Amino acid sequence: MRVEYINPFVESAFGIIQEVLQSQIVRKDLYLKKTSQPVMGVAALVGLAGDVEGRVLIDMSQQTAVKIASTMNGEELTEMDELAKATITELANMITAQAVTKLFDLGFKFDLTPPSIITGDNMQVSNADVEALIVPLELPQGLVEINVAIRERM
Amino acid sequence: MKNAVHEPPEGEQTRVDYKMVTFTLAGKDYGIDIMKVKEISKASKFTFVPNAAPFVRGVYNLRGDIISVIDLRTFFNLSSEDEEGGTPVNMIILRLDDHVLAVIVDTIEKVVGISSEAVQPPHPLFGDINIKYISGVVEHEKKLYVVLDVERIFGTVEEEEVQEERPQVEAVQTSLPEQPSMEPILRENVDIGFIEETLVTFMNFHPSGVNQEWIHERFRSWKSQRGDDVQLSNTADAQAFLAPFTSPHSQTYWSAEYMDGIASLLPEEKTGNLHVWNPGCGSGHESYSIATVLKKRYPQVNLKIIAQDHDLIKISTAPGLTVDPGVSSGFFDPFLVDGDGSRQFGKTIKDSILFEYHDINHEITLPRLDMVVMRDTISYLPADRQRRVFSAIGESMKSGGIMILGSHEVPLDRDNWTRVEASGFVAYKKN
Repeated sequence: MRVEYINPFVESAFGIIQEVLQSQIVRKDLYLKKTSQPVMGVAALVGLAGDVEGRVLIDMSQQTAVKIASTMNGEELTEMDELAKATITELANMITAQAVTKLFDLGFKFDLTPPSIITGDNMQVSNADVEALIVPLELPQGLVEINVAIRERM
Repeated sequence: MKNAVHEPPEGEQTRVDYKMVTFTLAGKDYGIDIMKVKEISKASKFTFVPNAAPFVRGVYNLRGDIISVIDLRTFFNLSSEDEEGGTPVNMIILRLDDHVLAVIVDTIEKVVGISSEAVQPPHPLFGDINIKYISGVVEHEKKLYVVLDVERIFGTVEEEEVQEERPQVEAVQTSLPEQPSMEPILRENVDIGFIEETLVTFMNFHPSGVNQEWIHERFRSWKSQRGDDVQLSNTADAQAFLAPFTSPHSQTYWSAEYMDGIASLLPEEKTGNLHVWNPGCGSGHESYSIATVLKKRYPQVNLKIIAQDHDLIKISTAPGLTVDPGVSSGFFDPFLVDGDGSRQFGKTIKDSILFEYHDINHEITLPRLDMVVMRDTISYLPADRQRRVFSAIGESMKSGGIMILGSHEVPLDRDNWTRVEASGFVAYKKN
């Protein structure tokens, strides 16, 4: 994971979440994970293409997802319905899009794929031969992990 | 508290996570990790190999594969049973990391499942076998099994070790009155064994074939310096022990002499792409130095250095690293540009280095490589990881590619490399 990519993702994840949720976020230490890794329950996925290949995954538990969707919509949601899914998808889109914009300003050109959302228990995600950078954010609603796996094209 | 006392035995019985093949040797029980055992076989006729070590009984044709046969009794310095009469002997055929070999034992018993937690570390002064070859001792159904670490005994990593062992065996066999002479050798091995363990604990430094020679050499000078107090009892001791290990210009820019020395190891001509891997680059001083050496020597080449480190803080500073006026001694000058108040590397150099936040313990994906610079990095990885890294390099490195290791490190897969030396600098060239 190229060093220059790290900050844009951290900054935009932090900035966007703080902005849309209007709450105190605690940033925890970044770390690297092996390719194959468990997903907490709700994963919003945005693919990246261009100079690089990879994906960004916004990962949280079902409970956290419902709470975040409730806050963002200004109404109390109780389950992972269509609205909640659409909300989380949008959150992923915002974070990734802003990161990509920041990266473009630094001279890196990425394209995005439309986000998709995956929910379920006991899931794992793996990307062949790429390790993932994890940006953990502690929200009042629960833990959200921004999971970025990008590889240079050689 | 009562619970705490009662739990361990239960745990031992319920959780079997380690299976070993047990056998006897001179009436004692031993075990070998079943994952290392390929099969069990009986055979009698071995082809004698002239001039082989005394413990090598010969070679054996295992369905077309020629494997060495080692007499464990001789190897462990136990009196050997003279049964040359052609009676078949029991062999355990071991599959080690990179080769297959057979060991002759007295009788093969059975497979025993135990909990790996129940294996207790060996006592420093164990009977007939040197301590470092023993993983531990375990009790099972009222019998004590000595669990052998076959990878350490027969692995290629320790090849010189085995050869060093030979004089010791001979010394005991030929000159019994000089028995005490074995004591210091054993004593030294025990001491080194302890030092090796403490280096892992305090410094995360993993002794292996990569640095074995240096450790033994260092131990001797350490001993003459410290006298009887050879043990490393804290981090400061371990640091002092390892201090001479560090290669020149670690964490700083290389000096002009060092860069000239490294340049002298490189091939004359190089065109097209030049891919370099620089794991453990820290803040990037090393990567910039390599880039300067290579750009100076091959101005036309399309240089790409993949520089990686797992320390986020250090690697984050690498892309914007500055050069203090005092440092450069002219070598870097053509490649520097003046920023606000400080000098940095210009576009030619910066564009050729890709700094990545990466943990070498994870997957390693590399393009075809022309060069690897990995100084004092591999020694800080666990032994199994060291092998993985070398095999990753072996797969990606082009034939004729150059690998530069730390001043006191050697590659584990020595057969794949040719040592090249120029004006005191050493590199390894891929065969």
